[in-house]
Amino acid sequence: MKMEDMPLSGPDNTKLEALVHDIYSELVEDACLGLCFEVHRAVKQGYFFLDETDQESMKEFEIVDQPGVDIFGQVYNQWKNKECECPNCKRLIAASRFAPHLEKCLGMGRNSSRIANRRLASNNNMSKSESDQEDNDDLNDNDWSYGAEKKAKKRKSDKNQNSPRRSKSLKHKNGELGSSISSEPYKYNYSTGINYETLGPDEVRSLLTTQCGVISEHTKKMCTRSQRCPQHTDEQRRAVRVFLLGPSAPLLPDADAVVENDSFDIPDGQTLMSRLQWEDSPDISPTDSASSKASTNHTDSRKPKKKKRASLGLNSGGGGGAGGGGGGVGLGVGGSLTGSSSSQSNISLSTKKKRPKVSAPTMPSIYDDLN
Amino acid sequence: MSKESQMRAAINQKLIEMGERERLKELLRAKLVECGWKDQLKAHCKDVIREKGLEHVTVEDLVTEVTPKGRALVPDSVKKELLQRIRAFLAQHATL
Repeated sequence: MKMEDMPLSGPDNTKLEALVHDIYSELVEDACLGLCFEVHRAVKQGYFFLDETDQESMKEFEIVDQPGVDIFGQVYNQWKNKECECPNCKRLIAASRFAPHLEKCLGMGRNSSRIANRRLASNNNMSKSESDQEDNDDLNDNDWSYGAEKKAKKRKSDKNQNSPRRSKSLKHKNGELGSSISSEPYKYNYSTGINYETLGPDEVRSLLTTQCGVISEHTKKMCTRSQRCPQHTDEQRRAVRVFLLGPSAPLLPDADAVVENDSFDIPDGQTLMSRLQWEDSPDISPTDSASSKASTNHTDSRKPKKKKRASLGLNSGGGGGAGGGGGGVGLGVGGSLTGSSSSQSNISLSTKKKRPKVSAPTMPSIYDDLN
Repeated sequence: MSKESQMRAAINQKLIEMGERERLKELLRAKLVECGWKDQLKAHCKDVIREKGLEHVTVEDLVTEVTPKGRALVPDSVKKELLQRIRAFLAQHATL
């Protein structure tokens, strides 16, 4: 039967009404059944009576509204002085200082990783300095107490360029330099330049055939850019090559011809001495490093200074073979002292020309000392 | 009588086909929750369950206890609205 045949009015109206009621009661029963299922499930799962509470528990868990306590009736600042143990260094740190301490201790973050790296490096190289290491820890983070902060500040002011810690790490750097200098000439192209004084003749030559190499007036470092670097002119490049490799050096930067080592390296003893004193004059170093510091990292800027100090000690001590104390660079100076033809002589020639006049007055006195 | 039952089946099928039955069910559920019917019945269920014991309650028990009360508790306004909707549906599709 089709719905179109359904009569909507007349005597069949009651029938239709019954139909409508049937449908309605079906729907209501559906709803009841749904509710029954829901309740039954809740009962069997055990959560039907969860919202039932008795007076006793209501009293127990009443919301507390008193000054000084939270809604559970607990004193809310009882965790204020909680201390946590650092998983890295096993010390107790106030909870509020724990995150900053952990950052430093584990070496996350920009500054902290630098500190941590330094710490690691010094740790590897100074086996003897266990106590020293502790000191460094205290220097580097002042989480422990308020007193420590003050102490650290005081120490920071004491800490100068000659502090044992710094010079130690420097020594390490220089030692590395001395040992690996001939094998890896490009190792020192950190970011801004090369300290040409530390390079041997072969390295100077290879650098000059591949790089611009013009020596900066400020940093005393060689330019590490390509030979067509726009910052320097061809004229400057040529001058530097003549200057470092001697007059027979290739005039064009890209010329591959290699100059003989001996051709440019015949300084007599006198010039050698004076050159050494140029290098040794300590007056230059502060300004020198200060200016170069802007663009180089710490070890870079301190390298020349340390070297000067080392070689100075060599001279005032009467020369000789005591170069071991100064690390690789000190040895290099000693080598040039004995007259062997090394790049050191060439390089120091250049320093003589380039160094500012400031250092001139100190030269004779050192010279006298030496003699 | 067979004519009568045939017509009933046809109407039910139409209701389901058009999705009207589902819509009506949803409307009824919403209205009943809104007017507190559900909470009343739940309270009744609690009584029943306490009576029988938490472990021994079955769905059949609940249905037999709850359905008459549920039917009775539906507010008149909800009932009227629902009947009106059903009538309107039938009228609309009977004239097609």
